[in-house]
Amino acid sequence: MKILLVEDHAELARSIAGYLGQEHYICEVASTFDEAREKLALFSYDVVLLDIMLPDGNGISLLKLLRKEGIESSVIIISAQNALDFKLTGLSEGADDYITKPFPLPELHARIKAIMRRRSAHKNNVLTFQDITADLESMECRINGKLLNLTRKETNLLLYFINNKGRMLTRQAIAAHLWGDYTDNLDSVDFVYQHVKNLRKKITDAGGKDYISTVYGFGYKLSAPDQ
Amino acid sequence: MKLNYRYTLAYAVLTFCVLSLGFAIVYAALSRSVTQATIGELENLNELIANQLRRGQPTVADSLRPYVQASPVAATDTTRRVRTVRVRPEWDAALQARVSVVRLTTYPVVGGRPYRVASRAAVVEPRDAYLTGLVLVFAWTFVFLLALVVILSELISWRILRPFNATLHGIQQFELGQPHPIELPATRTAEFQELNEFLVKMTARAQRDYRGLQEFSENASHELQTPIASIKAKLELLMDSELTEKQWQTLTTMHDELERLAKINQALTLLAKLEHFEPAPEALADLSQLVPATEAAFADLAEMKSLTTTQRIAPGVRVPLDASLTQLLLNNLFSNAIRHNVPGGQLEVELSATGLLLANTGLAPSAPVSELFGRFKKGNSALDSIGIGLAIVKRISELYGHRISYDYADGWHRIRLDFAQPAE
Repeated sequence: MKILLVEDHAELARSIAGYLGQEHYICEVASTFDEAREKLALFSYDVVLLDIMLPDGNGISLLKLLRKEGIESSVIIISAQNALDFKLTGLSEGADDYITKPFPLPELHARIKAIMRRRSAHKNNVLTFQDITADLESMECRINGKLLNLTRKETNLLLYFINNKGRMLTRQAIAAHLWGDYTDNLDSVDFVYQHVKNLRKKITDAGGKDYISTVYGFGYKLSAPDQ
Repeated sequence: MKLNYRYTLAYAVLTFCVLSLGFAIVYAALSRSVTQATIGELENLNELIANQLRRGQPTVADSLRPYVQASPVAATDTTRRVRTVRVRPEWDAALQARVSVVRLTTYPVVGGRPYRVASRAAVVEPRDAYLTGLVLVFAWTFVFLLALVVILSELISWRILRPFNATLHGIQQFELGQPHPIELPATRTAEFQELNEFLVKMTARAQRDYRGLQEFSENASHELQTPIASIKAKLELLMDSELTEKQWQTLTTMHDELERLAKINQALTLLAKLEHFEPAPEALADLSQLVPATEAAFADLAEMKSLTTTQRIAPGVRVPLDASLTQLLLNNLFSNAIRHNVPGGQLEVELSATGLLLANTGLAPSAPVSELFGRFKKGNSALDSIGIGLAIVKRISELYGHRISYDYADGWHRIRLDFAQPAE
């Protein structure tokens, strides 16, 4: 899968590209408006990650240009603007999603996955990890065919884990994923602990192995036991 | 106290003092002139007696004049024969009272012989005869003057102070964040002109500075977001490498602090944005739908803290508020009510046509409740919050003219949002 990252901050671009590379995406970086336009004209990308503030132009006009020329790439806006800006001004019009800086990289990954899934609705709609399967249509999760009785938040959490399997997820990243970043509710990380605890218990009660490990009170990681 | 009341009061005190002084002077003058008049009459009388004596008419025997005595001065009498006037209070048998009595003694020479003529008369005291009248005159004058002062001061303040009052009104209407300069009406009074000029100049400068500061803080926090995002990404990448436990702990702290920095920065950007947000006049939020929806979204958090939630939602409550701002406001209120609650506590939500009340059990706040709407004010410093949520809530409410109040009593925190009543 090919991703174009339009971001003028070189270090941030390098980090994001590095991370997405690890997740087996092909990620190219454009640091200016012109460079991005050129790349979009020459190649086709599945997803464009678009920063709004560019040294030689505005990401929004790039998005409009993109849509005008009928380029089918999905667009996720990455911006330092506040989430409220998007809601109040309809800034993200024409984009598939938006994410505000700073964001956890796994969150970006989860958003990309969600968009890709929406684009290929007819394809594989089941996520699997070891003996866990998650049906994204019905939002049902099973262990060895046995239905797990999960709440919506727990399902969401499990999907987030599976999408980012083998990767360290911080409590803050999980909280931001589950509750959004609307509140300054920093102690929602305590609630993350509760949710993860419940999820682990439900998985083990259903006969699954405890795939989720705690990392120094820092966060959690979903990994196969032998890894 | 209003300026013209002060004027009136000052005038009243002044009038009272002047009138009292006038009254004292009039009283003293009257008192003196009455005595002088009596003395003059007695002098006439004594002169009359002397003339009668000179003409050899009988005088002293006149029973009609018991208050005059005339007698030849004995040769042996060595008293100085000078005219004497004595005024002093004496017992008057006829009046059965102590009255001020004037005694006049003259020594006319009749036929070569010195005579002594002593007459006396009771003085009509102004205290007895005129006091009431005098007081009434002065009281009426006072009342009349006071009424005049009151009416005049109203007229004067209406006429002369009109530009001043208009300026005051202009200042009251003025808000630092407003886009246009202060509006002050023109005036012909030099002092008011000077005042207005000064105000216009000063507010223009304040507005300019304020705008500059706002732009700066908005840009600053906006520009900070990208480097923060970069650091955060780097930290996350670092987490995926092999690390010792000590390194992990350092990384954890760094990550947590960065998270906190990012949250503060985001909240500040948001507040700066809200500072000059122009609310759309037709925006209406359906609270009867949004409040229960928010409650439901926070239900799992409330459940984890074993809170009991009771809701009383009136149907069809729509108030002027932007929908996404309402969501932000409700999120902040609900997350506060849950975060500052005690395990096993209660949460009450009441929505009526006039207001929204959120009450939750909780520990007493450590800072005065009135300060909690300020930025970085925390009711409980132990909690890991940044204390900006209520400032945002307040700002959103103010944007639409809704009134927000917060009080704490008997273990309950109550936040009440009184909706602005639509102008009819």
